[in-house]
Amino acid sequence: MFSHYIDLSWRSFKRTPLVSLLMVIAIGVGIGITMTSLSVYHMMSMDPIPEKSDKLFAVQLQSMDEGESWWSPDSMPYQLTYRDTENLLNADLPFKRAALMKTGFSVHLNSDKVKPFLEQTRVASRDAFDMFNLPFINGGVWSKEQESSAAPVAVISQSISKKLFGTSNSVGETFYLDDLSVRVVGVIEDWKLHIKYFDLNNGSFNKPEHIFIPFSLIKANEIDTWGNTNGWKHEPVKVFNDKLQSEKFWLQFWVELNNASEKRVFEAYLENYIAEEKKAGRFTREKAEYKLRDVNQWISYWEVVNEDNKIMVALSFMFLAVCLANILGLLLAKFLRRAPEVGVRRALGASKKQVFFQHIVEVGMLGLFGGVIGIIVAQVGLFGIRQSLSYYDALANMDISMLMTAPLIAISACIIAGLYPAWLVCNTTPATYLKTQ
Amino acid sequence: MLEIKPIFNALLRSKVGAVLLLIQIAITTAIVSNAAFIIKDRLDYLNQPTGYEEENIFKFNVMTFGTDVDLIQQVDLDEQMLRAMPGVVDAVQISAVPLSGGGSSTGFRLKPVPEKSKSVNASYFETDEHGLNTLGVNLIAGRNFTEGEVVLNRDYSKFPKVALATKALMDDLYPGEDGLGKVIYMGDKPLKIIGVIGMMKGPWLKIENRKDKSVLLPLVDPRKLHQFLVRTEPERRAEVMKQIENAMHTNYSKRVIQDLTGLDVKKADYVAEDRLMMRMLVILISVLVLVTALGIFGLTLFNINKRTKQIGTRRALGARKSAIISYFVVENSLICIAGLILGVCGAVLLGQQLMSHYSVPALSNLYVAVTAIAVFLMSLLAVIGPARRAANIDPSIATRTI
Repeated sequence: MFSHYIDLSWRSFKRTPLVSLLMVIAIGVGIGITMTSLSVYHMMSMDPIPEKSDKLFAVQLQSMDEGESWWSPDSMPYQLTYRDTENLLNADLPFKRAALMKTGFSVHLNSDKVKPFLEQTRVASRDAFDMFNLPFINGGVWSKEQESSAAPVAVISQSISKKLFGTSNSVGETFYLDDLSVRVVGVIEDWKLHIKYFDLNNGSFNKPEHIFIPFSLIKANEIDTWGNTNGWKHEPVKVFNDKLQSEKFWLQFWVELNNASEKRVFEAYLENYIAEEKKAGRFTREKAEYKLRDVNQWISYWEVVNEDNKIMVALSFMFLAVCLANILGLLLAKFLRRAPEVGVRRALGASKKQVFFQHIVEVGMLGLFGGVIGIIVAQVGLFGIRQSLSYYDALANMDISMLMTAPLIAISACIIAGLYPAWLVCNTTPATYLKTQ
Repeated sequence: MLEIKPIFNALLRSKVGAVLLLIQIAITTAIVSNAAFIIKDRLDYLNQPTGYEEENIFKFNVMTFGTDVDLIQQVDLDEQMLRAMPGVVDAVQISAVPLSGGGSSTGFRLKPVPEKSKSVNASYFETDEHGLNTLGVNLIAGRNFTEGEVVLNRDYSKFPKVALATKALMDDLYPGEDGLGKVIYMGDKPLKIIGVIGMMKGPWLKIENRKDKSVLLPLVDPRKLHQFLVRTEPERRAEVMKQIENAMHTNYSKRVIQDLTGLDVKKADYVAEDRLMMRMLVILISVLVLVTALGIFGLTLFNINKRTKQIGTRRALGARKSAIISYFVVENSLICIAGLILGVCGAVLLGQQLMSHYSVPALSNLYVAVTAIAVFLMSLLAVIGPARRAANIDPSIATRTI
């Protein structure tokens, strides 16, 4: 019966090609525009590490004096001081922890083989690779001893390895970061990430770094940040050590907590830590405050999804509504014109339900066509977005779920729009139309 | 005369079509007026004057990895070389590039810390006496700093004593007074303002209360990574930019030249998202208006087909063609006006929602009014064709099929 209905729908489509085409285009454009903005929204708000996003927590500490405020939604500083980062990293706790900072160097081989280039570099503690699921191709992370002794070692990505040494197995090779000679201990796959969730300070959609060096090098080699340094009181910084001792915020800190009880243990530790620091004259606020936010909370806390994009999604759904109202009007016209024919079918014994179902199949087919056109329109739209904004490359794309969603929205929208016309036409009294013919 | 009563009664008998059209018109009005307003807001933002000859200025970064050179001396040599290049008006090492989205800012105060004082956040640029000329901004009072006033290297005992500031900053710190000659504090360091700059946008165009407030400090403190700004004669920028990398490497080779970009390109990158949003909105409203117009067109055609006999009968009974046209025009106008009333309310509500949730300024009523008129005209245009077709229906049709 279903295939018969599809056959009928196709005949009906061919009988009024212009109106049918108009409807398909209306749905197509509506779906296309909605899908364009929805795809970008979807990519922006997608969980970047779904397998453990509820286990990784960004740590925030309220170390500012009473009355000082920050521009974050809850007035908590986004980053940590060096002193707190170091203390949390070295605390005797059974949890994996990652202390992070963005910096950069001119990378070269001290020879003419490769033209020196500037490269952003991530300073990280060794747990970071495991926490953020970075798979090694060759070698592995630097050892605990190397981390504590600030050994000049590095983990690099496959593409940097190929660029510098022409191979992805460069373990043991040395290269230069400015004037510092470092040895490669591991090569990882390129870190593909559309949201740089672990450090959102300088643009949420920037690419992750390709070179990683131990956190202990900050102190040993006086490596300063290429990210933000924010202070809240006047602290003259004359030498690098002043910055390490200061109350300025410039480092990121993550902890992996696998369940609620681990979280409680870590929270208890933080409360105790703040109380201890209070004795040393820091954390002068009456109420000790700290925050642990998991990856998705962190992303929404940072308001990563661009507000323009939210407006666009809202407007494009309203646009889709206009297209649907349009289609509803056209369907009404199309179906009612066919009332005499339906009258004959009803008189020949078709039940109301069958007539209703037949028409729903017909609008469903229109929706499917519209959905396909919608995907094409959306691809054009996304292409346009990629052309105007280079860093939207990874964002302005339809993944499989969005490709499936397009026809789904199109078909269900059309069926909703078709319900009333179909209901109207199946209630036709056969007698009225039989009389006039 | 316009026969509103019978038209209205006829409408009540086929409500669905009319209601659909009404909804379309209402939503269209709401979206178009808000979108048009946002577009205007973005256009103003994108086209605002900056105070620079953007197409004649470019910047580049220098990352020095060699350790056998004194950076301050090297910067001096580089500057001399750049200034001597044919086509170059002036060149300077500077700590931040305007319109780029990256730079430094701090609170400038009336009294030194730790005293309580009014503090105004402003961007600052560390540069030498060529900075003003390279930027090409307009000094409206006072003088530029001299070579002797420029402090080399950062040393807290030798912080600059003088500075240039924009008028917007001085007006904020000293409202109603002449800013020239006043002293402002950066932390605990006093700075005497020896020159006031007119229009000069800082690094962040998006930050409304900071973009016009800037300070030029006579301080040269190059780091491993520092940047140069170069202004060229009109039309000669591309030619000069091509030679930069080689020229800089000839001067000293253990460094990377990077991000060699025109100021106009920097600005375009910085505002790219806003431009994209504007384009998307333009496409959205054009397609939307087209779809709504098609909707009106289709619905009127449908009504005419349905009422062919009635129209024929009316014509047979003596109605003029103009009466038939006016019937459809009036019918459409009734729906349209109802839709517009709803749409205007919707537009205002949507505007309020957008304003309360996002950083969109309050919707101006002018936009709603103009949109309403435009939608009304569009609906008239869409209906006039089908209405004329209806007027041409032959009266004989009425008699033939009954």
